[in-house]
Amino acid sequence: MGVTERLAGFAAGRPRAFVVAAPGGTAARVAVEAVLRRRAWRQPDGPVAADLLVVCGAPGTDLAEAIDVVWDDMPAPRARTMISGTPTPDEAAAALDEATDGRHGGHGGGHEGGHGHETSAPAEPDMADRAADRDGLTLDVLHVRLGPVLADWPAGLRVATSIQGDVIQSAEAAVLGGASARPFWDAPWLAAAAGEPVTRGAAERSRAAAHLDSLGRLLSVAGWADAARRAERLRDEALAGRAAGALVPAFSAFARRVGRSRSLRWMTSGLGVIDERAVRRYDLAGPAARHPGDVAARLTGWLTEAEHALARVDDADPLAGGEGPRGPAREAPSAGLLAVLPELLEGSELAAARLIVASLDPDADQLSRSAAAGEEAADG
Amino acid sequence: MGDGTPFWTVIALPVALAAFAYGAAAFDAVLRAAAAGRHELAQAAAEPLRETARLLVQQRRTTPAPDRLLVRVGVISLPVAALLAGVVVPLGDRAVVDMPVGVVWFNAMEVIAWGSLWLTGWGVNSAYALVGGYRFVAQGLAYELPHMFALITAAVGAGSLDLSKVAAAQHGLWFAVWMPVAFAIYLISALAMAFWGPLGHPLGRDLAGGVAVELSGPDRLIFFAGRYGLVAVAAAAAVPLFLGGGAGPVLPAWAWSPVKTCVVLAALVWAGRRLPVLRMDRFMEFAWVALIPAALLQALVVAIVVVN
Repeated sequence: MGVTERLAGFAAGRPRAFVVAAPGGTAARVAVEAVLRRRAWRQPDGPVAADLLVVCGAPGTDLAEAIDVVWDDMPAPRARTMISGTPTPDEAAAALDEATDGRHGGHGGGHEGGHGHETSAPAEPDMADRAADRDGLTLDVLHVRLGPVLADWPAGLRVATSIQGDVIQSAEAAVLGGASARPFWDAPWLAAAAGEPVTRGAAERSRAAAHLDSLGRLLSVAGWADAARRAERLRDEALAGRAAGALVPAFSAFARRVGRSRSLRWMTSGLGVIDERAVRRYDLAGPAARHPGDVAARLTGWLTEAEHALARVDDADPLAGGEGPRGPAREAPSAGLLAVLPELLEGSELAAARLIVASLDPDADQLSRSAAAGEEAADG
Repeated sequence: MGDGTPFWTVIALPVALAAFAYGAAAFDAVLRAAAAGRHELAQAAAEPLRETARLLVQQRRTTPAPDRLLVRVGVISLPVAALLAGVVVPLGDRAVVDMPVGVVWFNAMEVIAWGSLWLTGWGVNSAYALVGGYRFVAQGLAYELPHMFALITAAVGAGSLDLSKVAAAQHGLWFAVWMPVAFAIYLISALAMAFWGPLGHPLGRDLAGGVAVELSGPDRLIFFAGRYGLVAVAAAAAVPLFLGGGAGPVLPAWAWSPVKTCVVLAALVWAGRRLPVLRMDRFMEFAWVALIPAALLQALVVAIVVVN
């Protein structure tokens, strides 16, 4: 066994897994993230820093192409795997192990030798255009696509922007298709609407977990990794069925720290302001409509609603009503969140844009059916 | 190198710097694991070793049409900057080079990091890396002036730009005690200079890693080793500047310096995980409206006391 193999074997104990979710892949993503966290496998900032690509859900053609481009960017030794459906923690863990074993065999699994790996992308990108920016200066215009493969980013979302410096001049948002599964976070309400017996507690559990999932990603984008991990932990504990008596105190400590953080409020206030007019115009529902205002207001809104939901996770009454985590579960409220994005993003800086998107967190599971239908219509 | 400087210090400096840098990385890994709910010391402390092994065998990624020379210069200059800045920092009572203008040299070497980040961010030909580069230039405009005033305040207090003399001037009363504003500003600007924690926006997760987005393999290893080196050297310099150098009871000077450095380093690493990242579009105003006037007032008070 050579030195290189030994080093690779030692490093392989904790691979860095870059997780990409396709619309409809939320169940798989949540299961995979729980395993990664339990094993202390880090989720790197970008694919180049990763050696394992985990695709959650079944991406449609466009998203699959985007994922292939990202895969080509990843340096060897590397491995990729696809996990879809609703895997148990053991199944998710087994799939990750299988992928990494393939890599460390050294022969299959995409272990490519050689140095100076050159991507197949065109050698010379287009030169930047020039145009006057918001201050009247003539600056280079770059056309940058945010997503669909980006850490802590809504599944399948692609925002085509033109930026000058790091200020977005124009933006168009779309969700690339995936599998049309039942939206993970809305499942209790949709099941109840279909006549299945669902308790109110189960639904509140889903609501709290959905908000904690959104909070975790917002905190991660805000550059506060430790708080993001705490949100993820709480999300996983809520989904694992822990009692309210254990969840509420742990959540309160987390909510105090995040809610009282002055620097977080300093960095999120005044960004992406949604007023009453925008609520009506884009037909917004759910927390985004109940807590109008900036990113900070939406963050506080999630904290408040998650706390209320967690207190009721043991409620055994049958579920009544259809108000899911993002609004009426049967009306795909994420369509409104997607529609309001361009208006909020134009004129904001890249960092602010990431926070705005994370603070709305449109659920692609809700949109994948219509997006898939739209793609087919466009193809035909 | 003066006559009084034995040859072993030339060897000792990179070894000590590497040890501090590793310690910072390991402590950071322990804190990260704890936040994820795993309280494991040994595994987490071996994490930087694992990462080193991983990056050593990893392929080097090349972006389309990069400026290879600029990237190489940018990446390699980062640990070089940390090492050169460390040359004038006394460990115990001895620096590798006892320079009469050590404080200025230290500051000048830190500024190499500006070039490192900008060259790397520009050179790899990637939009996110470029934006990361912009961010560090803006960050430099925010932190560098308060940082320089904090350094100058300590130098004024001691009446010397020689770090050993600054340390020696603090008999009985550490500068951290009688110029606390300068000390606090130094610590904030140390985080900014090493683009660490809340001041790590140039490498932000919102930019998929910012300046470092396209770095892999050995390039990534050298870049991040250099960054930990910068945090370490900033912590080490705080000891002669504000914490009395090697002075302390019972233990000899060569033992006190590393102990104090470890404490400052641990505090910087810990603080780095306690806060969300600070964006320069907001922090800049705070730096110019609050930090610079505070630093100037502190310098004025110290100057008046010294003249009297």
